[in-house]
Amino acid sequence: MLSYILRRIVATLPVMAIVALFVFSLLYIAPGDPAVVIAGDQASPEDVERIRQGLGLDRPFLIQFGSWVWRLMHGDLGTSIFTNLPVSTLIGQRLGPTLSLMAIALLLTIVVAVPLGVVAAWKAGSFIDRAIMGFAVFGFSLPVFVVGYVLAYVFALQLEWLPVQGYTPLNQGFWPWLQNLILPSIALGCVYIALVARITRVAMLEVLQQDYIRTAKAKGLGQGGILFIHALKNAAVPIVTVIGIGIALLVGGAVVTESVFAIPGLGRLTIDAILRRDYPVIQGIVLLFSFVYVLVNLMIDVTYTLVDPRIRY
Amino acid sequence: MDRRTVLKGLAGASGLALTGGLSAPAIAQGSAARTLRFVPQANLANFDPIWGTQYVVRNAAALVWDTLYGVDSSLTPQRQMVESEEVTDDGMTWTFKLRSGLKFHDGEPVLSKDVVASLNRWAARDPMGLMLKAIQQELTAVDDRTFKWVLKQPFPKMLYALAKNNSPCAFIMPERIAQTDPFKQISDYVGSGPMKFVTGEWVPGAKAVFEKFADYAPRQEKASWLAGGKQILIDRIEWVIMPDPATAAAALQNGEIDWWENPIADLVPVLKKNKNINVDIGDPLGNIGSFRMNFLYPPFNDVRARRAVLMAMSQEDYMRALVGDDDSLWKPLPSFFTPDTPLYTEMGGEILKGKRDLDAAKKLLAESGYSGQPVTCLVAQDQPITKAMGDVTADLLKKLGMNVDFVATDWGTVGARRALKTPPGQGGWNMFHTWHAGADCINPAPYTAIRANGDKAWFGWPTSAGTEKEVTSWFDAKNLDEEKAAIGRLNKAAMDDVVYAPTGFFLSYTAWRKNVSGVTKGPLPFFWGVSKTA
Repeated sequence: MLSYILRRIVATLPVMAIVALFVFSLLYIAPGDPAVVIAGDQASPEDVERIRQGLGLDRPFLIQFGSWVWRLMHGDLGTSIFTNLPVSTLIGQRLGPTLSLMAIALLLTIVVAVPLGVVAAWKAGSFIDRAIMGFAVFGFSLPVFVVGYVLAYVFALQLEWLPVQGYTPLNQGFWPWLQNLILPSIALGCVYIALVARITRVAMLEVLQQDYIRTAKAKGLGQGGILFIHALKNAAVPIVTVIGIGIALLVGGAVVTESVFAIPGLGRLTIDAILRRDYPVIQGIVLLFSFVYVLVNLMIDVTYTLVDPRIRY
Repeated sequence: MDRRTVLKGLAGASGLALTGGLSAPAIAQGSAARTLRFVPQANLANFDPIWGTQYVVRNAAALVWDTLYGVDSSLTPQRQMVESEEVTDDGMTWTFKLRSGLKFHDGEPVLSKDVVASLNRWAARDPMGLMLKAIQQELTAVDDRTFKWVLKQPFPKMLYALAKNNSPCAFIMPERIAQTDPFKQISDYVGSGPMKFVTGEWVPGAKAVFEKFADYAPRQEKASWLAGGKQILIDRIEWVIMPDPATAAAALQNGEIDWWENPIADLVPVLKKNKNINVDIGDPLGNIGSFRMNFLYPPFNDVRARRAVLMAMSQEDYMRALVGDDDSLWKPLPSFFTPDTPLYTEMGGEILKGKRDLDAAKKLLAESGYSGQPVTCLVAQDQPITKAMGDVTADLLKKLGMNVDFVATDWGTVGARRALKTPPGQGGWNMFHTWHAGADCINPAPYTAIRANGDKAWFGWPTSAGTEKEVTSWFDAKNLDEEKAAIGRLNKAAMDDVVYAPTGFFLSYTAWRKNVSGVTKGPLPFFWGVSKTA
């Protein structure tokens, strides 16, 4: 197992290299020019050119790419064109809010979606099943920003239970941290809950038809034990897969959620960087996200061995 | 259902709910009354007011760095860091003396050498600074509090250049910072103004914090825009960046923020209904909408084609697309200059007045030789102003019988593409939309967009000898009457040659909670004199 994990980690290197080259090339050929944004609307073409030279954007592609890779190999993601701050600092500033948001959304999903899916499968065809699946369809259909606005209206403006916006770091207290994340996490988790609940239901329905479930019932096991110990564990592989893949959904949703709730996370940093053509920041974030995806996939593979002992690498 | 519809509906509902004056939530009450939470017009992505000329940078910099002079609400330069000035009879040697007791945020005194270095850096980037630099003989520190600027010819607009609020302003920095290449960004933010920038709390794109500078020595006069006593009545200002207007509206209603610089027109009715919120025009100098036509290529290399567009366009259509039904937010503008300012004129603006004559415009367009070639019209969709104006223009051009190549793109792409001088079919363009802050359109000094010196002019590269002649006349004018006469002639020449198409004058609101007092109208948010109660 250990050698498998090591091999997988080593295998991420060429993936990251391809991503790096792809992103760099894409940004190089993309229209737009950070020097124009920096110079301002009134700047002359000469001003823009001087700024471009100052940023090194006038150099040939290969030299720019080579210089970036060289810095990267030394652990330097570069410096933001606009803020003049290291990209690693900018990412570090934004990592906490995004990780917090995603962690709570993920937790919420597992806690809510899996039991909902199990119950829906258990009561398949009943009113409860239809109600849960109706909720799932609803969750899929509603855009994140609509859910966000509705939640903010009800729980922040009407009931005044929670704040509309912002983020408080965990080191300033658990409740201040949590209260800023409750509404965004629900908004972000909605689609994800719907997805996982549906997958859980389907996987459970298949497992519940198996002979060993009938045997468990015949020997008098309780419903809870059958569902959550015997059935759920055997249905877990597709559920874990979807939870893992869904992290990609969370990253995409975080961009919108962070904007709606004014959370200073990586999603907003990404959008700001793209709109301004802040190339080093975009490159740094894309590399980070691609690394996270690779890591999540690795974790999913490892989790398979925990939920299904027959799987070995 | 689109995002804006949802946003308006929810904000409207929340506004109705809050009209009853519900109390602020616990989170808001926890904030200290000495801290003002402000939502600026844009993200403070960098903090070098000479390197980056965005207005949001200028607005933040006005807190941190002081200027030698400052314009007041009558647009007159007033002494700020300067105690006195002398100019020789030939107008070529200016000697300035600094006020005593001026300090930087690191406790060091403000000296003439700091001023000289700051002016040198500013002059390398600012249009008026470049003019000064071109006629400069020497700029030197005479002693710690005196510096001298010797010119090769008189420059009557000297004090205005040092006082103007247009970006970049002549901010005074410590010499070690001001010696940075003007085309490279500074990373040390030690200032000379009434508030300190808290570098450690700066999260670009999310938050910027300013704290009161205890050793700042304000003037004794009453504050007026960038002039007078900049008395800071709060300890801390937090700029909270909110990209989503609905969130900002909700946060203002909820008391989570105190002042929102630029609420969008859609949400203003909701804010006006809330009894805890004041809403008023923010910047009386407003903005001038515009689209520019490329003088280098057909059809707009022919003045008749440009005039045809002007004859057919309805400024009301443009303004209603921008601000909706609120008539207090716009004015027709048969001029290139900001209404209600000393030099405003409508001379030559007849082409934009009265009933629109589409038939005459079509005839003129045909006379120009237009034969149906595509007209590449760049429209940034991520800027509400350009998007709204672009849609109106597309409709206008179609009514004129033009073949519109509507390029829907983002502002970053427009910014890069408009600099291309290649033909429209090869990456170039025929038209693009933008807008100008009214503060930049009060006279020709900061007004890059009015210049018509061909290759050296702003994008579109207009050529108009008459316009350029009158720009020079204004710079040479000795008094207001001469200035007004020059501007009148300039406006007519620019209108005759259609240097660009003004689409109208529009204003925007600012909104703040009623426990905040001292908010004044101006081209930037002024924080001096602003106070807050719990």
